[in-house]
Amino acid sequence: MTVLAWRLGILVAILAVWEVAVRPLNPIFYVPPSALPGALVRMWRVPELPALGEHVWLTFTEIAGAYALAVAAGLWLGFLLGLRRTVGRIYEPLLAALYAVPSVIWYPSLMLFFGLGPASKIAFGVLLGFFPIVLSVLAGIRQVPATLVTVARSMGARPWTVFRKVMLPAMASTMVGGLRAGLALSVVGVLVGEILGSRAGVGYVINYAYGLMMTREYAVLALIAAAAILAVDTVGALVEARVKRWAG
Amino acid sequence: MGRLINPEGGSRPPSGPPPEDKVAPAKPALEAASPSRYGRFFDSRVGVLGAQAASIAAVVVAWHVAVRTGVADPLFVPAPGAVAGALGTTASEALPRLGDTLAKAFLGYALAVSLGVAGGLLIGSRRLVHAVAMPYVVAAYGVPKILVLPWIALIFGLGTGTAVITATLFAVFPILLMVAAGTRDVDPTLITAAVSMGATRGQVSRKVLLPAVLPSVLAGMRIGVVFAMLGVLLAEMFAGTRGMGFLMQRMAMAFKASELFAATAVVSILSIVVVLSLEHLNQRLSRWR
Repeated sequence: MTVLAWRLGILVAILAVWEVAVRPLNPIFYVPPSALPGALVRMWRVPELPALGEHVWLTFTEIAGAYALAVAAGLWLGFLLGLRRTVGRIYEPLLAALYAVPSVIWYPSLMLFFGLGPASKIAFGVLLGFFPIVLSVLAGIRQVPATLVTVARSMGARPWTVFRKVMLPAMASTMVGGLRAGLALSVVGVLVGEILGSRAGVGYVINYAYGLMMTREYAVLALIAAAAILAVDTVGALVEARVKRWAG
Repeated sequence: MGRLINPEGGSRPPSGPPPEDKVAPAKPALEAASPSRYGRFFDSRVGVLGAQAASIAAVVVAWHVAVRTGVADPLFVPAPGAVAGALGTTASEALPRLGDTLAKAFLGYALAVSLGVAGGLLIGSRRLVHAVAMPYVVAAYGVPKILVLPWIALIFGLGTGTAVITATLFAVFPILLMVAAGTRDVDPTLITAAVSMGATRGQVSRKVLLPAVLPSVLAGMRIGVVFAMLGVLLAEMFAGTRGMGFLMQRMAMAFKASELFAATAVVSILSIVVVLSLEHLNQRLSRWR
């Protein structure tokens, strides 16, 4: 109870200080919280901003496409490297080394190759989302107790049964964590791509508002995007907790 | 960019070769049982390194053949030879910019480490602070920082300030979360025991707390490096007038594919070297402890 009160109190205090501190400053750079609801209402009426609906839909499809591809590629490569020890020993260090590269530096090449359309955003989303998924599959396979697999095999379990009844429960919680991180990174990849260079999508609208110095509208857009992303991630956390309970 | 570690305290998936003793027992049962002599060759360090070098060489050769036979358009995918050539010609322009980028990344990193370690210690050591602040920290960690970047650029302009602040913003939360988790996990009985044996406050923090928290600080610092580089490069691409990110974005816009590939290769190799040497240092430090 006290904790909740403290949390709310801090939030209110930050907003109040922000409001008071920002009032005398230039409204092009600093937006007081009280101006946000007005900006939200205005955004649906004012024709300066592009119509939001199709941009949101485009971003959503880009994210969905990128995540689907990242999951497919990540699971495939993860199981390939994890189950074939020789292949894994050779390529896992290379993969880990690539993971150490700050990922934005791939984006200009992707933009050059795929153009300014959705393809470069999807490619970047796949690239970012793919790594945590592969690495979590590899880590998960390492957690499977070898004795359990041997026992199941010696009792005559088929490979598919071993996979479903022994391996999957042992690696599920790690893998689900990776899938959740992959989703977050796919979202980031698509958004970064849209903000760095595009002609459509939520990132484009954000950049557009920023370019016209419509800071209030930009703030509203950024806050809504952040809230949507946090909501999706919360759902991901619930799924993760659920799977962890199932896996024990 | 975003979530590389699990805020619930799990660490990032391992980077670098996995420690042998962990891999070895789990693997044999899972694979088809026929490694034989050929499999044993790839168990040796020389075999693995040779296979890695051979695979990289094969990729380069395939890339070369693809460009030569016209499968890949050299306008978008330059031949390896052209990239190597561009490496020489762009070096004079790229190296000062790379230095600029690294300096900004270092500044942002230093800020992020001091803020992250201080904040992590505070949040990790006080139960109420932890309970109150954690949701905010996790939320700030989970929101893509790219959303705030336009506002930072608006306030700090098209230059060093924006890049440094962005680097700090990217790196501070993973460091803070790691340190907070590490501080929280310090075994309270150790402190009680030390105090009951008459240790002073200073002794407790030096002899008990520091060694217990140090690993998570180092882990956070290691992750922070990549995030700081990422923040600077992203800020430079978005709103830069100098630096490597700006240069690369301009090369892409001007369709200078071979120069762009060369620049990408230089930055990747540099960051891989930095991260691997930090990892190496970390392992030596933990052995020393």
